[in-house]
Amino acid sequence: MSALAQARPTSRQLPRIRPRPRPVEFGLLAIVAMALLVGGASLGATEHWLKAQAGGEKLGAFGFAPPDPRGLGVYLGALLVVHIVFVLAGRRTDQVLLPAVAMLGGIGLLLMQRLPQDLVTQSLGSFELRLGQLQLLWLLISLAVTATLALLVRSDHWLRAYKYTWAAAGVALLAMTFVFGTDTNGERLTLSIGPISGQPSELLKVILVVFLAAYLSENRSLLAEESTRIGPLRLPPIPYLAPMVAMWAIALGVVVVQGDLGAALLFFAVFLALLFVATGRLSFVIGGMVLFLAGSFVLYQLFGHVQQRVDNWLDPFRDPLGSGFQTVQALYAFARGGLLGVGLGAGLPTIAGHLPVPAVHTDYPLAALGEELGLVGLLAIFGLYLVIVERGLRIAATAHDEFRALLAAGLSLVIGIQAFIIAAGNLKLIPLTGITLPFISYGGSSLLANALAVGLLLALSDRGAVPPPPPRRRRWRGLPGRRRTR
Amino acid sequence: MTAEPPTPREPWDEGRGWVLDDAEGPTPAPVGTAGWSPTPGSSARGARPVGANIVRTGIALVLAFAVLAVGAGWWQVIEAQRLSTRPDNPSVIAAARRTLRGQIVDRSGTWLARSVRDKNGEAQRQYRDPSVSDVVGYASAQFGTAGLERAYNAQLLGLTTGDPLAGLTGKLFPNANQVLGLQLSLDLRLQRAAVAGLGTDRGAVVMLDPTTGEVLALASTPTFNASAIANPATAAATMKALQANKDLPLLPRATLGQYVPGSVLKIVTAIAGLDSGAITPSTTYPQQPAAEKTGLLVDGFRITDGHHPQTDGRALDLYGATEVSCNIWYALTGIQIGGARFVSEASKLGFGQPLPFDLPTAPSRLTNGQGSAPGGFADDAELASAAFGQGEAVVTPLQMALVAGVVADDGWLMKPHLVTALTGTSSGARTIAPDTWRRVLSSEDAGAIKQAMEQAVEGDLGRLFTTGAAVPGIPTAGKSGTAQLGGTGEPNSWFIGFAPVDHPKVAIAVVVEQGGRGGERAAPLAGNLLAQYFTLYGRP
Repeated sequence: MSALAQARPTSRQLPRIRPRPRPVEFGLLAIVAMALLVGGASLGATEHWLKAQAGGEKLGAFGFAPPDPRGLGVYLGALLVVHIVFVLAGRRTDQVLLPAVAMLGGIGLLLMQRLPQDLVTQSLGSFELRLGQLQLLWLLISLAVTATLALLVRSDHWLRAYKYTWAAAGVALLAMTFVFGTDTNGERLTLSIGPISGQPSELLKVILVVFLAAYLSENRSLLAEESTRIGPLRLPPIPYLAPMVAMWAIALGVVVVQGDLGAALLFFAVFLALLFVATGRLSFVIGGMVLFLAGSFVLYQLFGHVQQRVDNWLDPFRDPLGSGFQTVQALYAFARGGLLGVGLGAGLPTIAGHLPVPAVHTDYPLAALGEELGLVGLLAIFGLYLVIVERGLRIAATAHDEFRALLAAGLSLVIGIQAFIIAAGNLKLIPLTGITLPFISYGGSSLLANALAVGLLLALSDRGAVPPPPPRRRRWRGLPGRRRTR
Repeated sequence: MTAEPPTPREPWDEGRGWVLDDAEGPTPAPVGTAGWSPTPGSSARGARPVGANIVRTGIALVLAFAVLAVGAGWWQVIEAQRLSTRPDNPSVIAAARRTLRGQIVDRSGTWLARSVRDKNGEAQRQYRDPSVSDVVGYASAQFGTAGLERAYNAQLLGLTTGDPLAGLTGKLFPNANQVLGLQLSLDLRLQRAAVAGLGTDRGAVVMLDPTTGEVLALASTPTFNASAIANPATAAATMKALQANKDLPLLPRATLGQYVPGSVLKIVTAIAGLDSGAITPSTTYPQQPAAEKTGLLVDGFRITDGHHPQTDGRALDLYGATEVSCNIWYALTGIQIGGARFVSEASKLGFGQPLPFDLPTAPSRLTNGQGSAPGGFADDAELASAAFGQGEAVVTPLQMALVAGVVADDGWLMKPHLVTALTGTSSGARTIAPDTWRRVLSSEDAGAIKQAMEQAVEGDLGRLFTTGAAVPGIPTAGKSGTAQLGGTGEPNSWFIGFAPVDHPKVAIAVVVEQGGRGGERAAPLAGNLLAQYFTLYGRP
């Protein structure tokens, strides 16, 4: 971690670390703990009741163990530890982000404990970890990552200075996935290196935000100019547009190469959002959308799996037992939930031993939550995402310079937009794309990537933080014939 | 609070310092504030501050999440009931396996369908009588549901709630029993009589109370053994045999059978003609008597008649033409009405779309609508043929019973209904009152057609055509029909009617597939059933 080494103050400058109480965070975490404990108790009671009923009336076996009360305890303990570390470190970082993220993570943990535990298993030596335990492990690692970043990142230099390095790393990651990746469900998403496997597109989204923030903050004014005119179109200087067009190509490339519609949509939406934040030009967004729709139409014509997704979206009931099965079952789950939900654990987990929604733990957690927590629960979850986005945008609006502003905006938007895309897909507002629901879905890559984003947001929110570095000397001074007016 | 720790300086700050030619100082103002100006590290000279853009982006995302909230509300509240009661919903299937469905009883409370538990504790349906099989349908673990069992599946399984608040408390008390039963207006005795009357023939009988729209009998033959479909042990073999049967026992003919109507459709033509003002009861056509012998040439197509020599030479009015079932008079009336008016008048009777009913119904129509002439007729020849029930016209027995009912009930059309009450202890239990659909024609016009239909049954000439429809001692009105099917087969035998003529209590439609002339097969069966009705319910 050369960046950390760089950021470490010299002994002469070492500030005295004074503990600083964080009452808002403590209070909110207490509420989160209460809510999760009530949820855990309710889940346990429901499962007990169902078991008794199943024993008496033989309603078919729900093949899962009772939720592990220790799991929730460990999670809440970890939250307390992180809070205490934040207090001791005395940095003036945001106090709302951690509780909001902790609540979503806790909901995800309860959900994973409640689903059939053999959905995902992994052997670590003699241990065999099952779904709930794995999710808990990843949550703990994510909390550690978040806390580490929030406390140790004291400079953004290592992010802004090496933007092309980051971009190159991202493209390399993509290329490696293409070459060495393994296919799941016809989508080449998983990259395995030795025992470690993950979905690079999750990490890629953080890298993308860092690169875009750095690039756009440097070239903001030029992009906002209108020096190129093509007919009625007024465009910025062409060379500055090139990276933008490249982004478009990469986004669609992700679809072509990996078959990953969700990631492509997410990348492109974040790109457009950041472009708008940087330039304030709505025409870019509209133009980008038109380009994306045009590209999507071509892909629709060319690729079977894209067609299938769109057709399922338009009419899942046409083939309710085949390709539309998952969509239809998810809608049934939402409908069963109604206003208040059937209660944690009381949803239909299996039909004759099969999950009604096979990808409930990754792509469709919202369907399970909508069934068990009802509309009220879904609205609360949407509200939590908006809280996270609001805190992130607040951090962006009060940032010291544009790189930090764009970085904070990008990190919070990437979370918000991802949540929107998958939620809208689940609710059949847009075609379903296989991305995770941030902080809730099962999956190490997803949890870690979002933990990175939250950690960086917390670091950026430090009101006692270092001012931004001086401007770097520009090696390339724009187009020939253009002189910067200084 | 404590003093801020001193701002640490970063290595790259060494020897360079913060103050540049255009920098404001070491702690620049946040970019989001309104008075933001270029700061070190920024090349965005001249561009607007990003703060406003951040706010706009945030608002856009909030709006996007508002759409999500609306979407969730759509599925979870507005569409929830519909989705949660779909037959392929796993919770419906699960409920069907363990829930004892509500009972279905006839108008006197005799059970028609009930549920018992088999030795494994799974619910199984039993049916009293094959005669109601096409009405009640079946509920089977293997083959799903049909008939009323399908139409009221959610209520019978207790999946619906009368009001949304009951649904909320239902979440708190998951054992709340909300299974509803069905009380039908059907009379099992009449239903059995109708099925027995049809015998081994294929056909349908609809009997209803014209003043309320309550269906008393809704028979369709051949029937089937619904209990055998509900029983898992025999379901597969039974279903296989039924599906292979060429007589289509699973087809509920009374509601879904589309039949060529023949002369019974003349009542529709009379209603359309009188209500549109195209004719009066005394309208005569001078060319009609001659055309009896030579046929009526319409658009090069010769419409023939000629089976009522008794009226030779006399120009007929509505009464006479109805009594002897004169094709020429009705063909001319159809042309007089015109295609567009004919179709729109018929739609007032329910033609052109499925009827609002407890069971799915097929639409009745005067034409297949593929022609380019007004109303969708191909030409006047098709229109003229439709006016006496040939051409492309097809009708359901239920629709024709309603047509008889309109004439019987002084021009009022009642919505047909079969379920008169949802029974049970939950909040969804309620009675279903008769519902007026619309007024189709005036009381005087209805009276004229009533008189014409009475003559067709009781008149000196009518009796020759409509053998046996009259109930001894009770004035009966009606119209027989002999629907030519093309080819060499026997025609479909039709009768529609009602009794008594003054203050009718029951309207009837009978169709016997390939039963021969209307007067020979359908009319006597109708007379027999009407007589049974008055035996059961008392003579007026």
